[in-house]
Amino acid sequence: MMAEPLLAIEDLRTYFYSRSKRAFIRSVDGVSLAVAKGETLGIVGESGSGKSITAMSVMGLVSAGPGVISGRIGFRSDRVERQLLEGLDTCVALRREGGRVMAVEKDDDRWAGQVEKNMTGIRGREISMIFQNPKQSLNPFETVGRQITEAIMLHTSHKIEQEAKEKAIEWLDRVKIDSPRLRFDNHPFGLSGGMCQRAMIAMALSCEPHLLIADEPTTGLDATIQSKIVDLLAELKSELGITTMLISHDIGIIGRLSDTVAVMYGGTVVESGPAKDVLSCSPEGKHPYTAALLASIPSSDAVREKGHLQAIEGDVLDTINIPAGCRFYGRCSRVTDKIREKCDKQEPDLREIASGRRVRCWLYFE
Amino acid sequence: MKLTAIRPVGIVLVRELSLTMLLLLGVSALVFLILYLSPGDPFSVLLEGQSLSEEARSGIRQAMGIERSWYGQYFHWVSGMVRGDFGASVRTGLPVLSEVLRTGINTLILTLGSLLVTLLIAAPIAIRSAMRGMSKATWSFTILSYVISALPVFWLGYIVIYFFTHKLGLFPLAFGFATGAKKWLYLLLPIFVLGIGNGTISEVIRTLREEMGRVMEEDYIRTARAKGASVWKHAFKEGFLIPVTEIIAAKIPFILGGAVIVEQVFNWPGMGRMAWQAAQDRDYPVIMGIAIVAAVLVRLGSLFQSVVYVMVNPRASKE
Repeated sequence: MMAEPLLAIEDLRTYFYSRSKRAFIRSVDGVSLAVAKGETLGIVGESGSGKSITAMSVMGLVSAGPGVISGRIGFRSDRVERQLLEGLDTCVALRREGGRVMAVEKDDDRWAGQVEKNMTGIRGREISMIFQNPKQSLNPFETVGRQITEAIMLHTSHKIEQEAKEKAIEWLDRVKIDSPRLRFDNHPFGLSGGMCQRAMIAMALSCEPHLLIADEPTTGLDATIQSKIVDLLAELKSELGITTMLISHDIGIIGRLSDTVAVMYGGTVVESGPAKDVLSCSPEGKHPYTAALLASIPSSDAVREKGHLQAIEGDVLDTINIPAGCRFYGRCSRVTDKIREKCDKQEPDLREIASGRRVRCWLYFE
Repeated sequence: MKLTAIRPVGIVLVRELSLTMLLLLGVSALVFLILYLSPGDPFSVLLEGQSLSEEARSGIRQAMGIERSWYGQYFHWVSGMVRGDFGASVRTGLPVLSEVLRTGINTLILTLGSLLVTLLIAAPIAIRSAMRGMSKATWSFTILSYVISALPVFWLGYIVIYFFTHKLGLFPLAFGFATGAKKWLYLLLPIFVLGIGNGTISEVIRTLREEMGRVMEEDYIRTARAKGASVWKHAFKEGFLIPVTEIIAAKIPFILGGAVIVEQVFNWPGMGRMAWQAAQDRDYPVIMGIAIVAAVLVRLGSLFQSVVYVMVNPRASKE
C-alpha cells in the first residue's frame, strides 16, 4: 500500500552521551517511520518522548557535541534519492570497558562536515522545517522579507532579487499576512508571534519542498492564534497537497491535520495507523498508552463527572535506564496476569494487528 | 541608505560627540592637576646644571607667560585649546598640535595595524572552534596563542629585532634606513610585535568564541541551517561584528599603552615615544596635548562601536 515512501526512517537511534552520568540518554531509541507522498504523518507524545529529536535527526540538526545518531533515514523524491545518515558512524568511536561505554569520542569537525555533505540540496530545497517559538526562530537582525527572499533565491529558479522579492510577497499574502508589502520590511520584533509563524511557514513553503516538517508549530502561541495557524496549515495542505510530518503534543491538532498518526513513548513508536482509528474513542485495538493519552484530553463532561483532570499515572520514562521489558509497563493499567511476565522482561515489537495498524503491546499478540 | 537608517546614527553621533567634549575637559583638568602636583618643572630640566639667579628664573617664567596661579594657567590653556591652539613645546618651541598630530598618525598606524594582527590571529581560531567544536588543531592554536600573549612586549621586541634584523637581516634597522619599498617593511616588525604581545589575543579568542558559541545555540541559527542558508552569514552580525567592535573599543587604551613601549624599543616616531620624552622633560604643553589626542582616539573607538551597533541592530535604532 505504501508503495514508495518519501521519507523512510529505519531503526533511528539518537543518543546523547552524558559525561557525568557515564551513560547514554536514549532520546530516540529505535524509531521506524515512513511518510508516504502527499500524506500528513502526525507524531504525538508527551514531552521528552523523542518527537522533536526525531525531526531534528532527519534534518541533521542534532549538533550538540555528544549527540550520536545511528540507523537509516532514506529520502526519495523525483529529484533526489539520498541516505541522510550516510557516513556518520565513521565519525564516532565508542570506548568500552567491560561492556560498558566509558567514553564517546566524536570527531565533531568531521561529523559536521559529513552532515553538511549529506544535507546539501536537501535542507530548504527538499525538506523544510518550521519550529516552535517562531519569534526566536527568525533572524532578529534581518527583515522578514529578506529572510524569505534569501530562501527563494537559494532554492528556486528565481535568482534575481527583485523577482524573488515579488515571489516572497506573494507567499506572505498566501499565508494571510495583511499588507504583505509593508510587512516585508518588518523585522521579527515588529511582528506578533502568530505573524512570525506565518512568515516561517511562508519561508518554508516558498521553496516548494517535497516534505514539510512542522515541529510543534503552535506551541508558545496564544490559543486563538493556535487555531488560526492550524486553519492555515489545513488550508495549505488541501491547496498544495504537500507531504507533512507534523509533531505535536496536542492531540486536537494532530487529529485535525493528520492522515496517519504515530504515537511515541520513551523514544519509540508504540502505535501507528490511520488517524481516525488511532485517535478514535474506543480503547479497542489501542496501545494502553494511546488510550491513556486520549483519556487525558480534558472534556467538560469528564471534568464535571470526576471533579478533576484525568492524568496518566506515574512519570515520564527515564531515558537513561530503560527497562528490559515494555517501556510503559510501570504505568500500564491494562496488564493482565497472563502477559505480566512478558511485559516485565521482554520488549514487544511493533506488530501489524489490522490493516495499516501497528501496535507495540503484548495484549494484542497471540 | 534610507533616511530612517541615517537618523539613529546621527542621534548616536551627536550624543557621543557631546559626551566626548565633557570628557576632554575632565581629562585635561585631571592631567593638569597631576602635572601641577608632581615635583619639578620644565625649567629646572631645561636649565639643569646652570646656576641662575632667582631674578633670571622669574624673568624666564614671565617671558613665557607662566607667572600666573595654577588655575590661571589652566584656564589660559583651555581657552587656547578651544581656539585650536595647544601652545608650543617648552623644549623645542614647535607648536604642540601639529607635532602631536604628526606623531599621532604614526601611532594610529601602529595601533590599528596591531589590532588587525591580533584579530587576524584570534578570529579564525575563535570562529572555527565555536562553529565546528574544538579539534586538536584549534586546541593547540589556542594554547599557543595563550602562551604568546603572556610574553612581555619589550622582551618580545628585543628578541624579534635580534633575530630578524641582526641575525637574518630581513628588516631594515630603523625607519628610513632602507630606501623604496623596503623602507615600509620596517613598519611590519613593531606592528606584529604589538599585535602579538599586547596581551589581548587570548582574551579576544575567549570573548569571540563565547559570543559566537552562544549565537550558534540560538533558534534562528537552527532555522538558517534548516533552510540550507549559510550559518556564518546569519551569525555574522551578532556573533562576530558586534563583539569585534566591542573588543576594538575596549582594547584601544591598552594597545595605546603598549605602543609607548613598542615605540621605545623600535625607535618608532610615534606619540608614545613623544609622551615618554615629554614626561622626562616635564614638557607640560606636549603632555597635555598628547593626553587630549589619546582621549580622542579612545573615544573614537567607542563611537565606532556605538555607530556599528546602531546600524546593525534594528531594535537599537528604533529606540
